[in-house]
Amino acid sequence: MLAASAAALPALLATASCRSSDVFAGPDPLAGRPALSHDVITLQAVIAAEQAMVSLYQAAVDADLRATDQVRVLEGLLGQHRQHLGQLQARLVLPSGSPATSPSASPSSGAVPGPVTIGRLRAAERASTADLLRRLVTVQPALAQLFASIAASDATHVAALGG
Amino acid sequence: MTRVMAASVSASQAAFAGQAGQAVQALQAGQALQAGQALQAALAAEDAAIFGYGVAGAHLSGSRKSAAEQDWTGHNEARDTLTAMISALGATPVAAQAFYQLPFEVNDAASAARLAAYLEEGVTRAYLGLVAVSDRRLRMFGALAMQGPAERAAFWRGNTQAFPGLDAPG
Repeated sequence: MLAASAAALPALLATASCRSSDVFAGPDPLAGRPALSHDVITLQAVIAAEQAMVSLYQAAVDADLRATDQVRVLEGLLGQHRQHLGQLQARLVLPSGSPATSPSASPSSGAVPGPVTIGRLRAAERASTADLLRRLVTVQPALAQLFASIAASDATHVAALGG
Repeated sequence: MTRVMAASVSASQAAFAGQAGQAVQALQAGQALQAGQALQAALAAEDAAIFGYGVAGAHLSGSRKSAAEQDWTGHNEARDTLTAMISALGATPVAAQAFYQLPFEVNDAASAARLAAYLEEGVTRAYLGLVAVSDRRLRMFGALAMQGPAERAAFWRGNTQAFPGLDAPG
């Protein structure tokens, strides 16, 4: 049956005045990607924010605050933000065919404009806490608990920075 | 490690407790069971912390004793809040035990501080359980409520953690 159908295909195309390359002209029904779930979209946003936080701390450790006695504290907090990022990225499972995302692909990673002060780091930690709290009410429970834990960690960072 | 932030989080938590209390009253049967179990676990943790701080405080002095007293008061207030929320569900709040087995011997300031950190870590975990419930206001209540104990745990331990309340992933 399959052989017969295959043999009949050129005839069918000829009857329809089509070339074989025209068969899939227009939108390719096989190239479609499933819509990303709310949790995935939320997770991508949180990952981007965590990448920005890592960049901020890295800049602080690398330059601006290197001479201060806080550098050991900053290195510790940077390490914890990298742990946050690793856990968040481990939870991200994208549908096949989705554009790949990586830390280097994020527009928020890389150079940090302006001087990085302790006050700026504290403000970033507070903003991160608030953002995670806002987002955790809309996602699945396991992800909500990870967000809540990271938010609590960020809150402790504010205290560690003397805030 | 300062304790300034802990106070502000407690204020946020207190402000939110009223809304969470209203949420409790509006829960449907399935949600109420889930929320009730998580609230009872948090209450049990608060009761244990109240007992534990009584032990720890006896071995502390100066500013650390004051900190322990402040934390003991905070846990009492949290216990009252949770008790009211559980009662609003129509459930009976779990009673505190007369005695709690300590995780290790407490006989000096160092072990007292370790006990305080242990207590706060346990309370943090208990509130994280509330974050898994389906009701958004209770979830937010749990997430806010765990910040205070996470900060106090960091104070008593002397360092922060990447994932308070969770078994250190990865």
